[in-house]
Amino acid sequence: MSLLEVKNLNTSFQIGVGTVRAVRGVSFHVDEGESVGIVGESGSGKSVTMLSVTGLLPDYANISADSILFDGREITRLNQKALRALHGSEIGMIFQDPMTSLNPLFTVESQLTEPLKNHLHMDKRSARARTLELLRQVEIPNPEARLKQYPHELSGGLRQRVMIAIAIACEPKMIVADEPTTALDVTIQAQILDLLQNLKRESRASIIMITHDMGVIASMCSRILVMYGGIICEQGDVREIFYGARHPYTWGLLNSIPKVQQKRGEKLIPIKGTPPDMLQPPAGCPFSPRCRYCMPVCRAYMPPVTALSDTHSVSCHLLHPNAPKIEREV
Amino acid sequence: MLKYILKRLLAGVLTMVVLITVAFFMMHAMPGGPFSPSEEKNVPPEILQRIAASYGLDQPVWKQYLTYWNNLLHGDLGISYKTVGTVKEKITGHFPYSARLGALAVVFSLLIGIPMGLIAALHRGKAADLATLALATIGISVPVFVLSLLLSYLFSAKLNWLPTYGLDSWACYVLPVVCLSFNPIAYIARQTRSSMLEALEQDYIRTARAKGVSELMVVAKHALKNALTPIITYLGPLVAGLLTGSFIVESRFAIPGLGYYFVRSISDRDYTMIMGIVIFFGLFVVICNLVSDILLAIVDPRVKLANE
Amino acid sequence: MDTRILDNDAYASLPREMFVIGADDSHAEDIPRPSTTYWHDVWQRFRRDRLAVAGMVVIVLMTVLCIVMPMVSPYTYDASDYMNMNAGPSLQHPCGTDQLGRDQFIRIMYGARISLTIGFVAAAINFAIGVVYGGLAGYLSGRVDMLLMRIVDILSSLPSLLYIVLIMLIFGSNMGSVILALCFTSWIGTARVVRSEVMHLKHSEYVLASRLAGASTWHLLIHHLIPNAMGPIIVSTAFLIPGAIFSEAFLSFLGIGIQAPKASWGSLANAAIPVMQMYPHLMLFPVIAICITMFSFNFIGDGLRDALDPRLKK
Repeated sequence: MSLLEVKNLNTSFQIGVGTVRAVRGVSFHVDEGESVGIVGESGSGKSVTMLSVTGLLPDYANISADSILFDGREITRLNQKALRALHGSEIGMIFQDPMTSLNPLFTVESQLTEPLKNHLHMDKRSARARTLELLRQVEIPNPEARLKQYPHELSGGLRQRVMIAIAIACEPKMIVADEPTTALDVTIQAQILDLLQNLKRESRASIIMITHDMGVIASMCSRILVMYGGIICEQGDVREIFYGARHPYTWGLLNSIPKVQQKRGEKLIPIKGTPPDMLQPPAGCPFSPRCRYCMPVCRAYMPPVTALSDTHSVSCHLLHPNAPKIEREV
Repeated sequence: MLKYILKRLLAGVLTMVVLITVAFFMMHAMPGGPFSPSEEKNVPPEILQRIAASYGLDQPVWKQYLTYWNNLLHGDLGISYKTVGTVKEKITGHFPYSARLGALAVVFSLLIGIPMGLIAALHRGKAADLATLALATIGISVPVFVLSLLLSYLFSAKLNWLPTYGLDSWACYVLPVVCLSFNPIAYIARQTRSSMLEALEQDYIRTARAKGVSELMVVAKHALKNALTPIITYLGPLVAGLLTGSFIVESRFAIPGLGYYFVRSISDRDYTMIMGIVIFFGLFVVICNLVSDILLAIVDPRVKLANE
Repeated sequence: MDTRILDNDAYASLPREMFVIGADDSHAEDIPRPSTTYWHDVWQRFRRDRLAVAGMVVIVLMTVLCIVMPMVSPYTYDASDYMNMNAGPSLQHPCGTDQLGRDQFIRIMYGARISLTIGFVAAAINFAIGVVYGGLAGYLSGRVDMLLMRIVDILSSLPSLLYIVLIMLIFGSNMGSVILALCFTSWIGTARVVRSEVMHLKHSEYVLASRLAGASTWHLLIHHLIPNAMGPIIVSTAFLIPGAIFSEAFLSFLGIGIQAPKASWGSLANAAIPVMQMYPHLMLFPVIAICITMFSFNFIGDGLRDALDPRLKK
């Protein structure tokens, strides 16, 4: 049964020079206990999608959707108060930059007990006991001493652990991790990923992992959404994406993963060009200006969604019966 | 924390020493002295010389300087050359008037400025915001002497609602306090607005929302505390400036405050009086800045670290 | 452009020609929007700020008027017309005449000359001192910085009235000593801004890169640090101008600034106090002149700040 079901989500921002159409007609679902990865480069709309779904975008964002169903409730129809009751209790969020995501003027304890007091109405003592338990759960050594500290006294890795502790404090049904390792050192990244994997094993929560790193997705997720230019260009389970991808952009992403058995002299293949300007998105496929298989139709029309299996679907004109048959080059 | 305070205190003492020295020599560089023939035309020059000698003014300046320090360290600020009484008596006599007005003005500025800025930030681009910005621009653009003239002309001369002088009743306080706090209100409202807007854009505000913190608490706890740190820094100079009295306001509304007597003693060349008030002002500024720095260090734990 | 979507039937019947790879030249490296330079953007943003543009127009107008009017006017600032004392506004005297029958409009124009000169000169001097002082403190850092900033701390804890009044008394009441008095500590704000900008930039990657490439200190200072710190510096200087004009008006109002028969807005307002009840116009016009000028400069300053640092504009 799906925990989250999003249908035709559109998000745009009005800025001085025009309208930025960050998300354009995105539909997907997340099952209970499932972990889903959303990949795409910066500006592909992956973060905005999840912030729109959870209602955390600033109020100058225009969000419209046919339906956003979370745990049987229609989020688009919830008022602010009901939405806030979900935040931190049923939906936990982990953000990209632990340096700026914690309030510099409050202690770790104060920030960590906030959701416990707000949602579970814990008193001070039980909140502290739970806080210590959480800090141990996210493998922070010497938790008693950390409680009284301020964010600037902690390293980036420790701060991200505190963020994770805040996200899981009320045992949410869904955890959204928005590039949780991007801002960290490589060794710390590995530790945080380990921690997230342990948490995934121990809890029944669904996890949505937003990242631009295919490697992270492979180790964490069972299903993948590939986003480009505000649309989902391909989605499928891990096998289908890694071994049977059909969208040239997905191929590009896969080819840019470094391989352990990389031969000497063999280069990573970058995707040429830059992401589209979402102020003036192309009329057709957003990837067409950078696609090496670009056809006239790609510039003219948005590709329709073609279902290849129950889980695998692609938006690409190459799947049209009239199109040439192209295989992924490795 | 203790180390931080001690360090700041030491810097304060150093500041005072330099301040006293600079003020002393600048004052003595002024053309004409308190008992020079050009000042007192009705007194024969020989008598003036004798008076000057009795105050030690015939000594070389550096000797006078050392004598001054010696007296100062014994807690003696000297006696006023041009008015009756010791400098200490004068300061303690006039300061309460300035302080009472100033304290009211500080409270008034904060009570009006902060909510104004806050409301403006929360209603960005709407009528309340535009009104605040307009008022803040007026507050920054209209000089105090213009404001005090306009207000006293309007409310006293024309409408006859409020008295223009003295401090006999509560009504006497209205115009001076409004004049004193007009500019600070504008500054505080602008600063609160812009730092509040900046705070609301921070990642930690999104984190707070993601925790399900109520909108009221997001604003009142997470954003406001961060937005008020610049105001705390401003508090030191503000309190020091307002409590020591404003010459313009005190002379316009005939208030026997310290600000008024300071300017008078300068034009009188009343050396001991000038020095006494300068030392008092300097000390006051140093203490106010120290207190606001300590307050800031309590609110923002990152400050201490940067200073150590 | 809007996205174009076809329904199923139309899509299925698209012709083969539409499905030829490379039939259309790839524009992969196209830059979708023309990129604009920073200063071009700044100008565009500034131009859109109506209040700032209005302020600019007022200041330019006032500058031109105060230069031209005294040259073409039949009146001078010190010539009395004893038949016409304390006259109200009329066609001959648009702002009336004062107690000695001098034309108030021309006196206000002379006041504008003084105010604007003091504003610009003081701001320019403060700008220069502030940039050099703050730049040195920020760039050299360590002990030198410590010493320089201590000096600044001490200077800023001096009651400004003390040294301003003392300077006026020592050097006499004229424009030079007003400027000197105003330049005594007004540069501190600019110096602090420059110092913190330079400190901040010094640790940024591109300066590090330039240093690794063997750039000299001068080169770094001139080509990287100062241009990048320019925004906040310009803003703090823009606000120095109204500050200086305000201080001059204040000093002249106290009677220790510009002396009669020369006229300054502050001294005009001061002279009008005793007769304020009977001849309010003598007070009104100088006060309006001060307020309009202060407003204009503050609007320009605000406009510059928003244009230079769009993040601050909300």
